[in-house]
Amino acid sequence: MITNFDKLCGDLEKQELEAPTGIASPSTYAQLLAIYLYQNDLCNAKFLWKRIPHNITSSNPEIGAIWLVGQKLWKKDLPGTYQALAAYNWTEPIANIIRALEEKIRERTLNLIGRSYSSISIDTIVSMTGLSKDAVLHVCRDRKWTLNEDGVTVTPTPPTQPAPLHTSSEDQLFKLTEFVSFLEN
Amino acid sequence: MASPLEQFVNNVRTMSASGSFRELCDVIAKSDEVLQRNSAHLSTVLETLDIQQHSLGVLAVLVAKFTVQQGATDVDKSTMYQQIHDFITNCNGEQVRFSPELYTELCHQLTNYLIEIKQPIRGIEILKKAIRKIQLFDSHLTSIHADLCQLCLLSKCMKPALEFLDTDITGIGSELGGNNDSKHFLLYYYYGGMIYTAMKNYERALYFFEVVVTVPALVVSHIMLEAYKKYILVTFILHGKVLPMPKYTSQVVCRFLKPLSAAYYELATSPHAAVKHREIFVRDKNMGLVNQVLSSMYKKNIQRLTKTFLTLSLSDVAARVQLSGPAQAESYILNMIEEGEIYAMINQKDGMVVFLDSPEKYASPETLCVLEQQMAICTKLHQYIQEMDEQIQVNPQYVKKSVGSHDEDMPATSQNSKTTYSM
Repeated sequence: MITNFDKLCGDLEKQELEAPTGIASPSTYAQLLAIYLYQNDLCNAKFLWKRIPHNITSSNPEIGAIWLVGQKLWKKDLPGTYQALAAYNWTEPIANIIRALEEKIRERTLNLIGRSYSSISIDTIVSMTGLSKDAVLHVCRDRKWTLNEDGVTVTPTPPTQPAPLHTSSEDQLFKLTEFVSFLEN
Repeated sequence: MASPLEQFVNNVRTMSASGSFRELCDVIAKSDEVLQRNSAHLSTVLETLDIQQHSLGVLAVLVAKFTVQQGATDVDKSTMYQQIHDFITNCNGEQVRFSPELYTELCHQLTNYLIEIKQPIRGIEILKKAIRKIQLFDSHLTSIHADLCQLCLLSKCMKPALEFLDTDITGIGSELGGNNDSKHFLLYYYYGGMIYTAMKNYERALYFFEVVVTVPALVVSHIMLEAYKKYILVTFILHGKVLPMPKYTSQVVCRFLKPLSAAYYELATSPHAAVKHREIFVRDKNMGLVNQVLSSMYKKNIQRLTKTFLTLSLSDVAARVQLSGPAQAESYILNMIEEGEIYAMINQKDGMVVFLDSPEKYASPETLCVLEQQMAICTKLHQYIQEMDEQIQVNPQYVKKSVGSHDEDMPATSQNSKTTYSM
């Protein structure tokens, strides 16, 4: 199930701003907080957490649990993040966002490993992705990362860049014309 | 109902109907006292006027109603939020633009009220609407902008302000310009800088603080001083050192602001300054930023290493930048790679890190895209400057002055030239 989180985010922000007393419903806060994390917008997540009234956070443990994940992300503590994600029994609609969040964090981590390590131990990958050892080996095969003979270190390869966006030649010609006409005048 | 008040209502009605709003503004300016003296009857007056048709009249009554008078301590504000909300949603933008002073005054009153009752978040939507209503174009700065930023900061809800902050200002509302004081202008850039700092957009934050500090000034404003302190801290985070101020900075800045923020300068030279001047930083509420400066120093040091070394062991990195051990060095480097601050490859097997050059070859379509955007911005700027130049060319005062000085160029005695300058 994939929903458009960006649109939902806009709606939720609006709900909060238009709340008659300035205080939105707990479910609005919880979803918005989870979506900010999903967007890796930690600054906004932090301020949202700070502005949620205290009585709402204390009576809704789920919001606290979401922010626990946010805290770990803020500190870039990846093993802690996966622990925090697994520690709470999420309810819908939060669970949906959390699932997407977990996948996104893992994807981002794998890309980062590919970009920044020329050799890395499997144990480090296990703790950075929160996957089991078998799953890690599987991922490595998928990404064509080779396992060294010693059986504990992997040689990652940088992730391939997504195909560049193609602009039409007409569009480029238009821009060029505009630029030249600016220089001429 | 007292008769001057009746006359006011009649004036509003007839002048609004005939469309002579400029005259109406004069009448309103003169009836200030009448309205305030009859504060008890103002609610009745409001009922007789229509928000859409008599926007200016309603505006004047509302402002008078919620103005706290000397002597009278309590003004009934329970209906204030609703009334201002209705007014801003329904008023006629064309009409209220004749009196931006009153309109912004009403917004300031609402802002102060919401801060007083500690519900700043409720005002964000209204003020956004209010700004859009009175703006002539998107990059038009009004004094309401500062209020919006203040509410956003107080409610810790910064995102709504960003759409306004991200637009570069090219025009200033009449209530901000001229002989009016620059408080709201300074505040807008100061609060905006704070919002960008909170969002960790330091480049933009630095620009905003720079605007505050470089406003032409003859006397020091407190807002400028606070902005200057934050400016120093943000330059440390971004560049690791204090950059020289632009040439057009007023002299007062160098003369008065620097000695007043000596503690901040010390941060650059000794890391112990944070402990030594802790009290000052805490009092200025800048301790959080100071801590960020300290942690950015490690990053700057690692960046400096990349200039000297090609390969370095993680424990050497740790020793050279005074981190606790190879593990901490590895995590710092990993974070910096993720942020794109350095280019490096960590080899965990050998415990080495290889510093690379930027992989950017400046030949990709992305580069072209960036180049095109930058060119478009420059073209736009050129356009603005040309427009301003044309406006100045036809400005009667400018023409008079430039022609006048030509005449006096030949026989110019020192006294004559003085009189032309003072014009």
